[in-house]
Parts: sequence; C-alpha cells; structure tokens
Amino acid sequence: MSEANESLLANAMDRLWVKFLPQMEERVAKLEKAAESLMSGALSEEDQRRASAEAHKLAGVLGTFGLQQGTKLAREAEEVYAGTLDRSPAVSERLTQIAEQLRGMIAGRK
Amino acid sequence: MHRVLIIDDEDDIREVAALSLETVAGWEVMVASSGAQGLARAATYQPEAILLDVMMPGMDGPATFRELQKNPATAHIPVMLLTAKVQATDRTRFAGLGVRAVLTKPFDPLTLSQQVAGILGWN
Repeated sequence: MSEANESLLANAMDRLWVKFLPQMEERVAKLEKAAESLMSGALSEEDQRRASAEAHKLAGVLGTFGLQQGTKLAREAEEVYAGTLDRSPAVSERLTQIAEQLRGMIAGRK
Repeated sequence: MHRVLIIDDEDDIREVAALSLETVAGWEVMVASSGAQGLARAATYQPEAILLDVMMPGMDGPATFRELQKNPATAHIPVMLLTAKVQATDRTRFAGLGVRAVLTKPFDPLTLSQQVAGILGWN
C-alpha cells in the first residue's frame, strides 16, 4: 500500500472515529450503569445480558481503531457479565474500574 | 476488481470494514445490516465473497450462512465469519459450520483485505 493510500485510510478512520464516538461513549455509559447497579444489588439478569452485549461490541471495535487495550478490557467485562455473576464488592469494583478505564481511553484517542 | 458483501448489524464495524476493503484493496463493497437483508443482497448482487458477522439480532451469522447454503443462487459464494469471540470452543464450532474461514474482530483495517485475499487465493 502506498503512503498516500495509507494516509487516506488513516484520515478516513479518524473521521469514522468522530462519527461513532457518541455511540461508543453510550456503550461505556451502559457499562458504568451496569456496574453501579451491580454494586447496589439492582442488576437484573436482563441488565446483565445487555451489559455483556455492550462489552462484546466494544471489544470488537476498539482494537480496530487502535485501542487494543480497550478491546482487552471490554473482553474481560464481557466474560464477567456473560458468566454466573459473582456479586461480591470486588467484582463490582473491578467492573467499575474497567468502565472508567474504557472512558479514559476513548476520550484520549487522538 | 473483486466484489465483497459485508453483513453486520454494527454500523461502526460495517463502515470500517467497507472503508478498509475499498481504500486499501480497491474492491467494490456492498453492505447489509441484517441477515435477511444480506440474503437478498447476496442473491441479487452476486458477490465473490461474504464477510458475515456471527452475533446479530434475529437471524444470526450461522443461521444466515445456512440460508445462503440452501439457496442455489448463493450456495457457491465463500463465506467468512467475523467474530469477537476468542474462545477456542466458539471458533471450532463456527469453523465446523462449513464456512471458508473465521476472522477475528477487532481486525486491522490496513491488513484485512490481505487476509481475505490470502484465504480466497486472490493474491
């Protein structure tokens, strides 16, 4: 691939990032909400299933935009929500931390 | 110029994959946002290959693949599944469906077309 095409692709990817940023932020907000609900004991099975789906979507897309660590964290959240959920404070704290880290990574992507 | 159909309900993935194949490889790309739409587009557009997401609401990737196989107009088209599932058990199950390959999300937009071309012998 020529340098010109590579630059064309990088610029187009940046435009797509801007276009889909609100969608990704919304997905992170849903993960934050799910972690809060887990912490307060209000997370339903349906909320848990949705949180797993949101994390799955983030895992699939973040690395495509160069955020491989974001994919790794989202995958960790997906696996926690997809399994039999351990409702201990340690788990809800970890899920809160993951959501916060994802928000920071997304905000920090140039 | 090769012609590829991308079937994925996630608009961000669909647009990035289309951009990648068009910009890097210069291929002609058509997209569909559901299994049902993908079946119709595959039959009329006759792509040379299909990239098919696994997890979609309604008709998911495996169900869409089975429908593509049932239709003589689309049964010959090679299908590559796209999935963010990384567990070996999932990947083995998907590969067992009879698809040409299972590709992982996230993918690198710079190299996706090389990966597809390599699988299909387009190099």
